[in-house]
Amino acid sequence: MAGLTLREVAKSYGDTDVITNLDLDIQDGEFVVFVGPSGCGKSTLLRMIAGLEEITGGTIAIGNKVVNDIAPAKRGVAMVFQTYALYPHMTVYKNMAFGLKQAKTPADEIDRRVKAAAETLEITPLLERTPRALSGGQRQRVAIGRAIVREPEVFLFDEPLSNLDAALRVQTRIEIARLHKRLGTTMIYVTHDQVEAMTLADKIIVLRDGNIEQVGSPIELYEKPQNMFVAQFIGSPKMNFFKAEELNDKGQSYLKGEADIIGIRPEHLKLAGKTDALITATPDLIENLGEIALVHCKTASSMEFIAKTTDLSAFPVGKEVKLTANTSVLNFFNSTSQQAV
Amino acid sequence: MIVSFENRLSRFLGTTAIFIAIILVLFPFFWIFLESIKPPSLGGRPDIWRFEPSWENWGEIVFNSNVPLNILNSFFIALITVVISLICGAPAAYAFSRFRGFQGARYSILAAEMMPPAILILPLFLLLYKLELIDSRVGVITAHLTFVVPVVTWFLIGFFDEVPKDLEDQAMIDGYTRFQAFYKVILPVVRPGLAAAGIFGFVLSWNDLFYSLLLTGAESRTLPVAIAGFWTFRGIELGKMAVAILIAVIPVLILSYSIQKHLIRGIGGSGVKY
Repeated sequence: MAGLTLREVAKSYGDTDVITNLDLDIQDGEFVVFVGPSGCGKSTLLRMIAGLEEITGGTIAIGNKVVNDIAPAKRGVAMVFQTYALYPHMTVYKNMAFGLKQAKTPADEIDRRVKAAAETLEITPLLERTPRALSGGQRQRVAIGRAIVREPEVFLFDEPLSNLDAALRVQTRIEIARLHKRLGTTMIYVTHDQVEAMTLADKIIVLRDGNIEQVGSPIELYEKPQNMFVAQFIGSPKMNFFKAEELNDKGQSYLKGEADIIGIRPEHLKLAGKTDALITATPDLIENLGEIALVHCKTASSMEFIAKTTDLSAFPVGKEVKLTANTSVLNFFNSTSQQAV
Repeated sequence: MIVSFENRLSRFLGTTAIFIAIILVLFPFFWIFLESIKPPSLGGRPDIWRFEPSWENWGEIVFNSNVPLNILNSFFIALITVVISLICGAPAAYAFSRFRGFQGARYSILAAEMMPPAILILPLFLLLYKLELIDSRVGVITAHLTFVVPVVTWFLIGFFDEVPKDLEDQAMIDGYTRFQAFYKVILPVVRPGLAAAGIFGFVLSWNDLFYSLLLTGAESRTLPVAIAGFWTFRGIELGKMAVAILIAVIPVLILSYSIQKHLIRGIGGSGVKY
């Protein structure tokens, strides 16, 4: 097992910079999730750690060893891909044994590790089948099994659940969490699904345009986003932003210093009393999800936002309501710098 | 417009159209077969329909002509052409499929196909003449490679496009170099494509008349040239020609049928996703 250290890591294709001077420390045994919109460089970063992409600057160290010039197979990493990447012409057993065989591991050791991993993932009955004869979920378990048998220092997951249906995704997500708990190995996981990020991660790294926007625990990112991008990227529905002029008293009693935008998460909006109304709006659409409902509201200046509520009767469609939120949950931003104040 | 086959009239029209198409395609084969079993004494007259069938033409061709040698020549030339084309075309197609910056260039390989063969034949003839390779199998193979390599390459790009890049990444994590990943992991995956491209290339080489006519002599004559040779100054030896045509066409039919599933996918080349 080992941690990772990235120092001034850069990647460019010709004149296009994909990642610029990125510094990152990942502790031994941590579960780290890279999130960000498409094209933010999260998969590229993972592939650079794996050795599948050359880096154009900086150093990557796994444990204490700089691995810049070391081949992927010798870095002590195992990777699980979105498309499973199982060799179609080999049986499940051979797929799992292949990497070990390449590393000239003794046959009885290979057999022991493959059978143990198959046992853990409950795929023993599938060992003699070819990938073609497996369902998507089974294929992904085999891919995870193949990673486990390598006993790597770092596991790398590249959107491993994206090709699975919703139910399987939840199940496999839980299995990955259990696996991490059992093995205690460092895991790096790339996803654009923030539910996966929030539920799996010890530490989330939010990326945009090849730069790190924020690093922190899921709850830190959720409660105290450092900028408007992270605030909107983490959380579903995303955080509502209110400009000062849209607030009832132009936000005078709340806004301080350079802050001119208040960010409020949909679940924190509630009906106001007679004196503390922060915003006046009219609900125009309700999405009822059963346990909760999403209320789409519009202000007089046609700004739209969403409130999350368990009490539908408080939000009559078409009737004006006054809303507020506890001061302790408000986030303040500056519209020019986009940073939290 | 959607034609519903529930309707009796459209069903009748549809069936008739299919029958006409089948007859149009199959009639020439039937007619050539009739010519092949027509007694040579009738003088190869296509307008005679009533005759006593005879296998004389077949016997003449199989036992008393150079056609078996021509078949061997055609077979050998097509086989070597295909092997070389696959050895060159598969890595080329892989490169076109995988590497950025090659996207526009991939269409340029078709440019070789668009050129009339007449443009190539003169320099090729002079080159082979200097090398003393006129009337040799090597000369014909060289000529055939000019159109089989681009076709095989184009054919294979679509197959490589369908193999996820993750597969070779995984192979590299498992300890292969990129080249090992290519020939030990990717090539086995596209085996059906290689077979289909090989067969397609084989048929192209087998059928070629233009280059073979100009570059072969008695030694290296291929089957299509031999068939054309039945058009003599005394007239067309239609019966023998018909036998040779049938012999030439049978492998083409069988091979084309065996790859029909992959044919459209291959000809689509790039950009066609399934």
